[in-house]
Amino acid sequence: MYVKLNGLIYSAVIILAMLLFSKLVSSPFLTLSLVLATIYMGLAMAWDFSSGLTGYINFGVSFFFGIGAFLTGFLSFVHHIPIGLTILADLALGISTGALFSVPTLRLRGPFFTLLSLLLPYIASSFILSFWTVLGLPTIGYYNIGRLAPSTFDELVLVSLFDLIILATLYALYRSHFGLVLRSIRDDEEAALNLGIRTFRYKALAFSIAAGVMAAMGGAYSSVSTFAGIDAFGLTFLLFPMLIAIVGGVKRILGSVPASYLVIVLSQYLNLYIGSATLVVFATLAIALVLITQPMFLQTFLRRRIKFE
Amino acid sequence: MTMLLSVKDITKSWGGNRVLDRISFEMKADTIGLVGPNGAGKSTLLNIIAGIIRADRGEVYISGRNVTALSAQQLVRIGLTKTNQIPRPFRTLTVRENLEVFSGLRGRADVESILHMTGLYEYRDIYPQALPFGHLKRLELAKALACNPGIVLLDEPLGGLSSNEAKTLIKTLKDIRKSGVSMIVVEHRLWELFSLVDEVVALDRGKKIFQGTPEQFQADRAVAEAYIGGTEG
Ligand SMILES: Nc1ncnc2c1ncn2[C@@H]1O[C@H](COP(=O)(O)OP(=O)(O)O)[C@@H](O)[C@H]1O
Ligand SMILES: [Mg+2]
Repeated sequence: MYVKLNGLIYSAVIILAMLLFSKLVSSPFLTLSLVLATIYMGLAMAWDFSSGLTGYINFGVSFFFGIGAFLTGFLSFVHHIPIGLTILADLALGISTGALFSVPTLRLRGPFFTLLSLLLPYIASSFILSFWTVLGLPTIGYYNIGRLAPSTFDELVLVSLFDLIILATLYALYRSHFGLVLRSIRDDEEAALNLGIRTFRYKALAFSIAAGVMAAMGGAYSSVSTFAGIDAFGLTFLLFPMLIAIVGGVKRILGSVPASYLVIVLSQYLNLYIGSATLVVFATLAIALVLITQPMFLQTFLRRRIKFE
Repeated sequence: MTMLLSVKDITKSWGGNRVLDRISFEMKADTIGLVGPNGAGKSTLLNIIAGIIRADRGEVYISGRNVTALSAQQLVRIGLTKTNQIPRPFRTLTVRENLEVFSGLRGRADVESILHMTGLYEYRDIYPQALPFGHLKRLELAKALACNPGIVLLDEPLGGLSSNEAKTLIKTLKDIRKSGVSMIVVEHRLWELFSLVDEVVALDRGKKIFQGTPEQFQADRAVAEAYIGGTEG
């Protein structure tokens, strides 16, 4: 227990050290990259907590991220609601949408959840593209969104604070009986069911919590970039969180902290030279890493047969 | 209160092949043995009783209550658990965590004393892959106990154990019995089994061919023939 708590303290120290680093270097590009890194950190921790622990891979990260971005856009652009409140609204929207999606799809044990989650961001962005005029959007998205804080550095401080809260919460859940059950599901869900564990409830709750965090991060992102567009539903917000979780070591939650600074800051600087090819480079890296370090992941996924609980 | 179980007319076919044919018995003792040659249908019967697979026909009763329609999860909450013939530990959970994961399902089992009782206490913080096979079998038993059961179905608990290991495990099972947990034990090793149980039910090719005491079992010709036929054929 003592050693485990150390991990949490190290993570907090890394987050604070990056704040200090940003302050000292004082480069706008670096500070912005770090803000992005902290946003991805939230996504990666949420993804690792739900998918990494249970083995049910959620490909819908950017869907929950995107709806959060759009809700904050709507509330801020149309109703001028302060960003702190819109992010809370995103959290609530993410949790309820996450529950709405996971309740029917997770009742079926098998790949349904994973396959359907892949469709979610695509459906959402097509819907907005087709109906943005009907929906009364000012353009394909919202602009002029209120900022989280007056300066990029202050935004970095705030998002880092969110991350610390998320980290402590998810880590406490991970160490609790709840986390133990999630890990048993990944190992052998059938054995857990046969010995009386109602796995469905735990899965649904884990995914709803994660979806809430993802949506809140979407809200933070749209506020930092003062724009919520359909790029929020893009592949970037699925691939990078997964890559970070894998680099950090799947199902460890804490590993996402150093990994997100490493991956995102690196990709930001790479982006300066090779542009959008960065995503291709990192996607290839992600796939290679999954195949090399996580052969079990693929097996768990393939092993699952379709069954009613 | 001792939990006793009875089954009535349990019938099950796998793709036209009838593996259980109107099996009925009532537990009279709190610990009974279920024996029969390989393929007799013992594991299938335990899985039906535990709500893991469905019978085509027939009923299961626990202390007089019809529980046929209940799911495995509901049965565990009533107090019935089953071990697997091949151990199925949670690989990424330590031995202790393998037990703790079941806490709260049916009251709070005392994980510490289960660890002591099954001889796993000194292994409590290691992962199952580091356990020798005999201890994996014990872990399988410990997991069932962690659900705080009134009755446990054991599928070949001695399978693959050395005679020394088997002897210790039988002693553990006797302790469990003394603590008020009923058991149905599927086992090939009759010598060890008979030192534990007061009653035996024998199956052969899906049919019940015997029910009685271990002494009566040893004296029964039909049973002896089924066994000799079973091992030689
Ligand atoms: N899932 C299954 N599908 C098809 N046949 C099965 C299945 N499970 C068991 N059987 C068959 O049922 C018969 C009884 O098996 P089982 O209950 O495992 O016997 P035992 O445990 O007494 O050795 C065997 O002939 C076996 O091949
Ligand atoms: Mg068997």
